[in-house]
Amino acid sequence: MKQNENNEGIKGMANPGRYGIERVAYWLMRITGLGLLAYFIGHVYETSSILNGKEAWNSMLELTQTTEGHIFLTLVIGMCVFHTANGIRVMLGHGGIGVGKPARPDYPYVPASQNTMHKLCIYASIGLAALAMMYGLSVLFGE
Amino acid sequence: MRESIVMKVHYGTALGSVVLVAVHILFRLTMDFSESLQYENVVANYQFIPYAILLELVLILLSVHGFNGLRVILLELKQGRSYEKAVTYGCLAAMAGLIAYGSKTILMTSMGMT
Repeated sequence: MKQNENNEGIKGMANPGRYGIERVAYWLMRITGLGLLAYFIGHVYETSSILNGKEAWNSMLELTQTTEGHIFLTLVIGMCVFHTANGIRVMLGHGGIGVGKPARPDYPYVPASQNTMHKLCIYASIGLAALAMMYGLSVLFGE
Repeated sequence: MRESIVMKVHYGTALGSVVLVAVHILFRLTMDFSESLQYENVVANYQFIPYAILLELVLILLSVHGFNGLRVILLELKQGRSYEKAVTYGCLAAMAGLIAYGSKTILMTSMGMT
């Protein structure tokens, strides 16, 4: 393989098809992190409208208390829950918890560092995010 | 600062944020969601000093965690002495700006300057 064929850049880093659910969790963690940071900045700006009095607050609230606003907030809930649950998994992994014992890499070279427990945690994080989004939808649309 | 210490700060701010954001969300669920967002209720929340302190802590923890996360993502994409410095100082400046902007809202509202 030539060197430039091996140099895929961002596309190669983000490719979820090569390393299974671990790579999916890797880029989901980053996408949700960036999404949550964008939401947080928007939320700080949005709430600052309270300084301009009741009318400014109500007009800002009107913008967010719409069907689209509620769907956006549901997505934020999902991102938040996934980022939290997967973040705790990553922290535990960095602390050596749940990564298994080191072993000689024999054929078929199954990595000892990413065992079933961590893979299950990734799926559980996605499941928890979906449940939280359903609860969020029921609270936001059940007014 | 050593990167290992930065990561400990990153994890510490993450755990702190989880607890405090949970309390922040529970405040919205103490009554009907849309009712809790009424102007009078929100101002009353800000003027409750322990809650205002909680909001300030959430602002600081999430800003530190969020902008350090952004810095880590940007450093994964590209490396280089000047690029790394620019990213680090840029994130620090953005973090300080957001904390200052959010603190102004919390301080002025809790003091009744709306």
